[in-house]
Amino acid sequence: MGEKRYVMGDAAIARGALEAGVRVVAGYPGTPATEIVDECLGVPGVHVEWANNEKVAFELCTGASLCHVRAMPVMKHNGTNFVTDFLMHVNFTGIRGGLVLISADDPGGLSSQNEEDTRILVHQYAHLPIFDPCSPQEAKMMVMEAFDLSEKTELVFCLRPVTRVCHARGIIEFKDLPKNLPAAHYEPDRERFIMSAVEMPKFGGVKRPQIRHRWLNEKQPLLQEIMEGSPYNWAEKGEGKIGLIGCGMGYTLVKEAEQYLNQKLPLLKLGTLPLPRKKIKEFVKGLEKVVIFEETEPFVEGLFKKIFQEEKIAVDVLGRSGFVPSDGELTLQMILETVSKAAPKVKVAQPEVPTIDVHIPIRTRTQCVGCNYRGILNALKQTVRKYKGIVAGDIGCHDAGSFRPMELQSTIYCMGSSVPMASGMVLSGVNRPVFAFIGDSTFYHNGILGLMNAATNKINVNVILGENTVTAMTGFQPHPGTGVTLAGEKTIPVNVPKLAESLGISYRVVNPYDIKECREALEAAVKEEGPSLIVSSMPCYLLSTRRGQKVFEPREVRLDPERCNGCMICINDFGCPAISFDKQKKKVAIDPMICVGCALCIDVCKRGAIT
Amino acid sequence: MKMDVVISGVGGQGNIFASVVISQFAMNKKLNVFGAETIGAAQRGGSVVSHIRIAEGAIYSPLISRGQADLLVGMECVEMLRHLRLLNPKGTYLLNSMRIQTVLNNMGLDEYPTHEEILLAARKYCPNGYVIEASALAKKLGNIQMTNVVMLGALVKIMPFFDYEGVKWLIEANSPERFKEANIKGFEEGFKLIN
Repeated sequence: MGEKRYVMGDAAIARGALEAGVRVVAGYPGTPATEIVDECLGVPGVHVEWANNEKVAFELCTGASLCHVRAMPVMKHNGTNFVTDFLMHVNFTGIRGGLVLISADDPGGLSSQNEEDTRILVHQYAHLPIFDPCSPQEAKMMVMEAFDLSEKTELVFCLRPVTRVCHARGIIEFKDLPKNLPAAHYEPDRERFIMSAVEMPKFGGVKRPQIRHRWLNEKQPLLQEIMEGSPYNWAEKGEGKIGLIGCGMGYTLVKEAEQYLNQKLPLLKLGTLPLPRKKIKEFVKGLEKVVIFEETEPFVEGLFKKIFQEEKIAVDVLGRSGFVPSDGELTLQMILETVSKAAPKVKVAQPEVPTIDVHIPIRTRTQCVGCNYRGILNALKQTVRKYKGIVAGDIGCHDAGSFRPMELQSTIYCMGSSVPMASGMVLSGVNRPVFAFIGDSTFYHNGILGLMNAATNKINVNVILGENTVTAMTGFQPHPGTGVTLAGEKTIPVNVPKLAESLGISYRVVNPYDIKECREALEAAVKEEGPSLIVSSMPCYLLSTRRGQKVFEPREVRLDPERCNGCMICINDFGCPAISFDKQKKKVAIDPMICVGCALCIDVCKRGAIT
Repeated sequence: MKMDVVISGVGGQGNIFASVVISQFAMNKKLNVFGAETIGAAQRGGSVVSHIRIAEGAIYSPLISRGQADLLVGMECVEMLRHLRLLNPKGTYLLNSMRIQTVLNNMGLDEYPTHEEILLAARKYCPNGYVIEASALAKKLGNIQMTNVVMLGALVKIMPFFDYEGVKWLIEANSPERFKEANIKGFEEGFKLIN
């Protein structure tokens, strides 16, 4: 019996996998995919874990699949990039138990360091099939079917949901979970699973990589046939000679746009790669042009042009190569403007709204009020100013230290880049102290490798590890330094001081709520030769508060207007949202509605105006 | 029948909790519900907006477009203004008079509009609005985190779509054990805020 629940797209995907009998789920947190892993938790017999990075998660899931059980690695687009090397091998070997990769994209970079389209990586580069859902409901059906098809074709299947699918909420039917899943077993098949440059006698001595490549190429007609009959591609009739193509979320937005148009245009909904070539040929009969709406690159557009060239079809193909904007998330407004441009005779009637003539300030994100990162960032700011230092940053809550007002970190790229980049700055001979600031989850993801490299090569870099003992930015997922698994079982946290000892580098553990202690440790690190590690250790304030634990003794903080001279150091070098500048009085003010009494600002004020 | 609701605020104000309660309420009425939320990268301090679409028939986009919202709930002043264009000028808004400064405002590099400017802009756009001091009441009741339940209380009074017992039950069902009692109190006090 089914039960209807109102849940996130991510929970719909998780439920689909569970109903399909997934046995192993592993991922690394990343918006918008994080909740998929969380939502898989709690079913007996299903192992769900946070791996320390996406490559580990994918490899672990493949191991399970080779023992004939269903597995699902979960990640955002950056993770899929990180996994590329493994992906370019597992596509050649194929899998046994259904293996469905969830690679969530974030068009517009709403919560990401970049925007990209992993369909290109998975389909064009690795030649693997993809489902591109238009809604949470469809995502659930797709993930279930993907498990079946993965086993049928022996290939990794990929579901590529975008943020608006992952973080949409809709009514989803929860059905019973399967019982008595088949038992795992393993038989060696070295011709398949040993990926190595070895001559294959059966194939006249041709090397294995080429033979496995051929195997993958020979799968393509089967995939083509499956997608031709897929329920996720369909045509809707309409008037006129201009057809619209909606891929995934693009379809959803075209459907939303239809209410504002005085004419229904022919519409082709696409949700699969490879594309259903016959369906497309049938749809474009009698059309003059098609406009393709897809997230985010003009990828299906390119495939259409290829098909039309091969089939000698004379229909214009327009889309995100410029006719529709080539960057950012698709919006309803974009669809309406594009339809007007492509079909000027179609009338667009959207409600007009009054103009709003008041200035609306932009809100950039920052650390929480009370966050311990603000203490170590302030100490670092002071040290960097004193010694003309440079800071290479990394991904995590601390990254907001690079925005105004702190403007501390000078670089942020991808997970773990801070330490090697800082090392390179040192090796350039720039002759200034160089710091790397990295959070603990990112450190275990792969930042630890940069530290080992700095130790081995004796690079004079100062690494600050912001150890808040959890992956805070994505919603408090445990990592190897937490001491607990996703399922809540106790485990041994990595002992960072012992790690530093084994690497032979100096380390100092500091309390980030003690700015003076932090500053002294940073200065000592600057003055010594060779790599130094500063561990700024304190559990995340927000998580601790939710658990009813204290990381500091809250106290009432007061500003003495007599002593405040309006120098704004407490704003510009600290950036607590509770402290603002009063332009009329030329003094700062502390908002008691926002202040949580961490008292860090008392140390920041040099005039003793905050007590 | 359709009802599109936008809830806008700052991360940490309990926006998502309010959107879950409203959505479940509609679902219990056997209506179709679809929505979306933008939860930024940081846990707190960023701009957060939830879209909730309620209808008898099919709903396509999880996002509400310009001029379509029947109800706009502003948990913070500037955040309501930011999404005012989504509101149908014939709809209703409920504003919490809380002002959370932005980083650039704090630095003295940007201007947060005055309270009068905010009220005027909202009134000019949509005549049917309510302004309450939900955060101040929540703080008085012991925890500013209760702003969301105070606002849900006020909402029930304003919008005939909701019923008191139904929403109260959902607040209780969705609250963690140790906050149940306080959240119910906040809801009841919020209901009394509107005459």
